[in-house]
Amino acid sequence: MAAGGDKVVINEGMREVVMIGNHLAGLAAVDSGCKLFGGYPITPSSEVMEYLSDALPAVGGVCIQMEDEIAGVAVATGAAMSGVRAMTATSGPGISLKAENLGLAQMAEVPLVVVNVMRGGPSTGLPTRVAQGDINQAKNPSHGDYKSIALCAGTLAECYTETVRAFNLADRFMQPVFVLLDATLGLMHAKAIIPTVEDVKAGIVPRKKFEGDPKDYKPYGVAQDEPAVLNPMFQGYRYHFTGLHHDAMGFPTEEIETCRKLIDRLFRKVDEHRDEIESNEEYMLDDADILLIGYGSASLSIKEAVNRLREEGIKAGMFRPITIWPSPEERMNELGKKFDKVMVIELNQGQYLEEVQRSMGRRDIEKLTKTNGRPFSPQDIIDKVKEVF
Amino acid sequence: MARDVLRFTGVGGQGVLLAGEIFASAKINLGGFGVKTATYTSQVRGGPTVVDIQLDDEEIWYPYAIDGQIDFMLSVADVSYQQFKNGVREGGTIVVDPFLVHPTEEDRKKWNIVEIPIITIAKEEVKLVLTQSVVALAIANTYLDLIDEKTLVDTMLSKVPERFHKPNLLAYELGKKYALEAIEKAKATA
Repeated sequence: MAAGGDKVVINEGMREVVMIGNHLAGLAAVDSGCKLFGGYPITPSSEVMEYLSDALPAVGGVCIQMEDEIAGVAVATGAAMSGVRAMTATSGPGISLKAENLGLAQMAEVPLVVVNVMRGGPSTGLPTRVAQGDINQAKNPSHGDYKSIALCAGTLAECYTETVRAFNLADRFMQPVFVLLDATLGLMHAKAIIPTVEDVKAGIVPRKKFEGDPKDYKPYGVAQDEPAVLNPMFQGYRYHFTGLHHDAMGFPTEEIETCRKLIDRLFRKVDEHRDEIESNEEYMLDDADILLIGYGSASLSIKEAVNRLREEGIKAGMFRPITIWPSPEERMNELGKKFDKVMVIELNQGQYLEEVQRSMGRRDIEKLTKTNGRPFSPQDIIDKVKEVF
Repeated sequence: MARDVLRFTGVGGQGVLLAGEIFASAKINLGGFGVKTATYTSQVRGGPTVVDIQLDDEEIWYPYAIDGQIDFMLSVADVSYQQFKNGVREGGTIVVDPFLVHPTEEDRKKWNIVEIPIITIAKEEVKLVLTQSVVALAIANTYLDLIDEKTLVDTMLSKVPERFHKPNLLAYELGKKYALEAIEKAKATA
């Protein structure tokens, strides 16, 4: 189904659709087998719910506008516990409200997809303008220690493909997975080339399920680098669900070693499987002298700037993390050794710059940042490159 | 082909978004690349709205029009005309609704200002004010000859509920007629 009556063309095994990014995230949810969306409208993410309010009921799913943001994530968490794929979508202020429940989903290991169409902040900020203000928030929306997974779309097609990937990663690692979009990508209307429904369905690996005797079921009694195995509720496999530190059955405990191992496992289940999560784009880096690092819609401006700089004989290239958290720290460390001239470009005050500095072990990295709700033009980037390098 | 860059401006609720979407989709239907972006304020109804449209045979990365490179702007609200006119390159064409937009004498020297009563056409001749975006679509395409007319009209119809096909087809014809008359008038006075 494509929005607005545009025709869908199948070409070389891929679908060509003409849609906005927010609708593509909604389409990805349907194709990934999502059965429940719970949310509350907020600019610039409302079109995700708008799309799903038609599309989910059409495939036997449910789309509920709840009374507020908190209830939106709560109903999605409950649905995920019953065994179905579930999603919520919002913008930064909505994530602030959902934070408590997101922490619960991290602790209790509930798979959930959370689309955040970012806007400027703090507080209500610039609702209709573009920003990448929620990079740090996506790493730690809730208090406590856990390891976030956050994917950041940089093209219209990735609004679809990264949402599909988020559903698969959520089920694999049993935790919330963020999909970060922004007002530019979420609302731009153009052609996107995306996989067919059949290919998306073929890539779905069902959530792990314990099939043995219910007496032997220990949902949190798993290997130290693996996620919990939560069978759907009400099917005879009983366990306790809590945000407190818990034992193998989910019951609260303060036993010293159990508590240590629980948080250690929440880290190791992600850290020791980074190869399954990490995704980057390298654009014209092979012969480059200047490394530009950016993500999300800012990378559209960077690509155009790289092309125009090269027309002038300045060899720039771009590194774009698609998986923002956990960060591609090893690849960035390698690139930090290869390139003297490095600049981070982001629509915030330098939230990812600190991660690049940490990964590269360097402080001499240039930055181009903007927080007035306007996008970077390619010329902004060209001017800065010429000024500092 | 060089990139065509258009900007439609108005105030929220007037429906300028749709015309941009139709242009981009029609170009894509012809095998090219088209991108529409919309920028509006928190004051959704009544606030200045700008829609940027870029059409090219090559892939378009940066989705917004770059100020100074815009060939054609159409405006149906003075607040947005004043805010966005400087994005149009010198000598570019700006179509305005003369009842709602008030260009200065300086503006008339800098740009090719064309006055067409877009809202009045939709309201009084089509008798459906909602069709103003299709009047605007027809004017822009008649001026710039960007998209094969049948493709553009078919794309427009695919985005409009069937019961509104007739008034929108009339809106297209009227927009085209007024644009052709304005072009003839300009030739006559040149």
